[in-house]
Amino acid sequence: MATVDEGTGYEIAFGTFEEAKAMVGQATPVRFGRVEVNAPMIQHFSMMTEDANASYWDEEYAVATWGALVSPPAMLMVWLMPLEWDPEGSRPEPLLTARVPLPGTTFVNASTDTEFFAPMRVGDHLNVVEEVVDVSEEKKTALGVGHFVTTLSTYRRQDGQLVAKNTNVLFRFGAEEEGS
Amino acid sequence: MIPGVDYHQRYWEDVAEGEELAPVEDEITYRRVVMNPATTWDYFPGHHDPEYAKAQGQPTIYINTMHFLGFIDRLATAWGGPASFITRRKMSMRHSIYAGDTMVGQGRVVRKYTDEPGGRTRHLVELEITVENQDGQLCVPATVHLELPARQAS
Repeated sequence: MATVDEGTGYEIAFGTFEEAKAMVGQATPVRFGRVEVNAPMIQHFSMMTEDANASYWDEEYAVATWGALVSPPAMLMVWLMPLEWDPEGSRPEPLLTARVPLPGTTFVNASTDTEFFAPMRVGDHLNVVEEVVDVSEEKKTALGVGHFVTTLSTYRRQDGQLVAKNTNVLFRFGAEEEGS
Repeated sequence: MIPGVDYHQRYWEDVAEGEELAPVEDEITYRRVVMNPATTWDYFPGHHDPEYAKAQGQPTIYINTMHFLGFIDRLATAWGGPASFITRRKMSMRHSIYAGDTMVGQGRVVRKYTDEPGGRTRHLVELEITVENQDGQLCVPATVHLELPARQAS
C-alpha cells in the first residue's frame, strides 16, 4: 500500500518486513534527470557550501582542465531530482528507498559510499538505475525502531559512460515501538 | 583569473602522509539550512520545517546529506586544488548539524598510493575527514580518495 504522507509530502509505501525483503534485487527502469548539468545550479550550490573551486566558477580554467565547468561531486543526486509538480499533473516517482514497504513513518540517512568514474560536466544529461540491495532485521536506535534499507544507484551519462555508483543506507523508522 | 576563486594546485609528489588539511568552520544559520531545499531540490521537511523536525525527535531543522557531502568535497578539493578528482567518498551520519550550530571540518592524509584501473595509473591520496559541531561532537566521519595530478609522466 502506498500513501502520501502529509508530513513529508513524499509517497511512502507501508508494509511488512517480509514484503520489503521481496523487493531486494529489483532494479528500476532507467530514469533521466529533469535538467542537464548546468552552471547556475552548480554556482547556487557552491554559494551554500562557500566553495571557491575554480572548476565550478571559472569557465576558461574549467574548459582547459575538464572540457567544461564541472559539478561538485556532492550534486550527483541533485541532477536526478524530480519536480514536485508539472502541467501534466504527474506525481514524481518517490525515491526507491521510500517505496520499500515497511512500517516506519519517517526516515533519516545513515551512510553514503560513492565511487566516481567521470566528472559531471555542464551539458551532461545523467540517468540513474536504482536497486534495493538489502533490508535489515528490525533494529533499535536512539531515534526509534526500524530497518536499515541499502540501495545501489548507478549513474550514467547520455552516451552511456558510467559516471558514479552510489550505495546508500537509510534508516526507516517510527518513534513508537513496532507492532504496538 | 577571477578574484577570490581558488586556483592553487597540489601535486601528488609534494604530499606527505600525516599532512593536515586546513580546517574550516561554517556557521549554520536557519537561512543556510533553508538553502538546502533551494539548491538541491530536496524538500524533505526536516530541512525547512522545525515543527516536523521536532515531531521526528530532533531539536530543530538540520542540514541534508548533500550539504555534508558538499562541505566534505570542499575541504578535500580546497586542499588538493581545482584539478583534483574525488574517486571515492564514504561518509556516515552519527549526529545531525542543526540550525544554530557551527560545522567544523578537519582532515589529514592517511595514505598516498597509486593504482591502475584499466591500465591507467592514478595518483591518489586517502584523506580522513571529520565533521564536528561546536561542542566537538563527531557528526560525520568520512574517507575521501582524491586523485591528484603528478609531475612525473605516468
